[in-house]
Amino acid sequence: MCGITGILQTELDQDQQRKNIVDMTSTLSHRGPDGWGIYLSNHIALGHTRLSIIDLNSGDQPMMSERYVLSYNGEIYNYIELRKDMESHHGISFKTTSDTEVVLRSFEVYGPDALQKFNGQFALLLWDRKEKKLLIARDRYGIRPLYILFYRNNYYFASEVKAFDTIPGYQRTFDINNLFDHGLVWNTLDNSTVYQNIHSLPAGTFEIYRKDSQPSHYRYYEIGESAGNSPPNIESAVEEFSALLEDSVRLRLRSDVPVGTYLSGGIDSAITTYLTSQQNKEKFKTFSVSFADKSFDESSFQQEMVTRLNSEHSDLQVDYKMINDNFLDAVYHFERPVFRTAPLPLFLLSKMVKSEGIKVVLTGEGADEILFGYDSFKELKLLNFWSKQPNSTLRPQLIKKLYPHLRHYKDPKRFGLMRMYYEGFLNDYDNDLTGLNIRVHNNKALTNYFNKDFHIAFNKEKLMGKVSAILPSNSHHWTLLQKNQFLELKTLLSGYLLSAQGDRMSMAHSVEGRYPFLDHRLIERLFYYKDTFKLNGLKQKYILGKAYKDVIPSSIINRPKQPYMAPDLKSFFSHGKLTEQASYFLSAGKIADYGIFDSTIVSRLIKKFERKIPDAIGYRDNMIFTFVLSCQMANYWARNPKTTPLDTKLKKVEIRDFN
Amino acid sequence: MSENIQNKLLGFITRSFMVEREEIDLDKSMIDEGIIDSFGLIEIATFLENEFHIKITEEKMIRANFGSVHKIVSFVKREQTQ
Repeated sequence: MCGITGILQTELDQDQQRKNIVDMTSTLSHRGPDGWGIYLSNHIALGHTRLSIIDLNSGDQPMMSERYVLSYNGEIYNYIELRKDMESHHGISFKTTSDTEVVLRSFEVYGPDALQKFNGQFALLLWDRKEKKLLIARDRYGIRPLYILFYRNNYYFASEVKAFDTIPGYQRTFDINNLFDHGLVWNTLDNSTVYQNIHSLPAGTFEIYRKDSQPSHYRYYEIGESAGNSPPNIESAVEEFSALLEDSVRLRLRSDVPVGTYLSGGIDSAITTYLTSQQNKEKFKTFSVSFADKSFDESSFQQEMVTRLNSEHSDLQVDYKMINDNFLDAVYHFERPVFRTAPLPLFLLSKMVKSEGIKVVLTGEGADEILFGYDSFKELKLLNFWSKQPNSTLRPQLIKKLYPHLRHYKDPKRFGLMRMYYEGFLNDYDNDLTGLNIRVHNNKALTNYFNKDFHIAFNKEKLMGKVSAILPSNSHHWTLLQKNQFLELKTLLSGYLLSAQGDRMSMAHSVEGRYPFLDHRLIERLFYYKDTFKLNGLKQKYILGKAYKDVIPSSIINRPKQPYMAPDLKSFFSHGKLTEQASYFLSAGKIADYGIFDSTIVSRLIKKFERKIPDAIGYRDNMIFTFVLSCQMANYWARNPKTTPLDTKLKKVEIRDFN
Repeated sequence: MSENIQNKLLGFITRSFMVEREEIDLDKSMIDEGIIDSFGLIEIATFLENEFHIKITEEKMIRANFGSVHKIVSFVKREQTQ
């Protein structure tokens, strides 16, 4: 895994161009600590930092052929098959054994159609030396990041926005409306980011940049494009599904360095770890997080899998103080606000993984989206069922089965309140927002927190318009749950789980995450499986339990879903007072200085918890507190960028291609 | 008495849900307005039980009693006089 940078249409002199691309690249050395390289020419500069995983000796970048120059971040897992195909059918001879060269040659042979042949996670910059045009592309689900900034007539590209902070004269600034959207749905929609003038290349798309014209935009993949049919029964579905998942794991174990796995205690990572053990007969390393606060701890389930698979296991126990003490450093890597502290333990875990000499880990990300694992799917199903007989007294009783980890849902004394709450959604749960209706409804409370000068107001129709615009034309044929799946993949997964909690937290310590559930062959087939294969009654991820019931302990398969969480608000209060660091960032002075939030409202939130930290804290208070604090810290890093020069001894490539 | 109940309730709402008094429409549902979420309902019910020494049973947890600040105030008043 790596970091990539680029500057296009540069009007800088050669020394300044070299300095700028080196400075940008230097901010990404955590993504690629094993070496770096640059390419310089009249039209473009490219940079690369490398984490060596495949072909340790000859895969350095940027890589140049007669026609193209490539700076690429990611893995193409089917590179062996693509290479053989090009050797036998197109007479291509390869100079290295790297997947990078396979990517480069694929574009020479197939042009942009190469993207449809790739099975993997990637973001890339490909310069066409002949036609003087740049192609930029990103994988189907946005696993690997790519940002674009247009500033003073130059286009800048980078894996992380912090690289832009090195551009002379440039200051990264929040776009408050986008920040509010991000707060509502946990991601910015389409290609926007929380920063002014910085765009993200949407997943499954590529763009072409030519001198003196606007970039052209193309989509090569959209979720659900295959429009397939469901297997007729659960038995045949299990057979097809498990074959696809096993093949996905097989491809994702391709590496020239050892691969470890994460074990959360849930069914998804238990299965990816089990499948790893089936393909990898040598003892391998597993890693997990446990919590000093037992209400978050899942170590007994983790231990059960370790015992069963006899892996070499390491556990990291995390407490409130560790979350507080490391939050600012983690925000440096998120580069955006977060809503939970759950990424923090993964930030600390990747540090431990690195110290144990592991560069690649398999994890269970994506299973909840593609197998209806989230409670939003249960909520929709329940509302749909209830709405058909709104006066039923029995149907709303199912509310008690939502959120088994939240006490107030199960408490019969509070049932009437929960019923009253959900009644409010009976009339509009099935609009285009689907499962986002409830998330947005809860999160719109953020409106009051913003500085009143911005006049932030919640506009449901406007948001609905944005969401409707990203739904593809074939979505009219989808069920409500399929629509929700599409939106969960576009918002929560790509904007939060894969970026703030995935890519950034592992790459912060030079560890590459690989996600077997995010193989496009698997996602496309599953997307068209009958809803009941995924959510049977209110049993989530039904097919998963069915497929692996003989090899995964029943205690793990049958346990109620426990979302992976870490203590939020409690981590930032100690002895009834805000911790020193949180107090600094949330002080009235700092709130006024940054100007994003309303200091009266923020101080009221703090007072609510300074009086007493109750055992149970509502989702919304946890979410808002973490959002406000992480916004303040992200703004701090935008104003105070870090600089760490690249180690000249690690320079592997410098191509000067001027004419 | 109603005024007293209403003041106490509004004080609790502004302290707990970060809204100003003038932003609360006394005749609209605080759930629909997004002032409170599901946990917020629990917080309000707990506050009412503790502050006004009433017991809220399941059949009373309906919008006719909780659908606005005015409805909550009338409900508390009724419960206290019973």
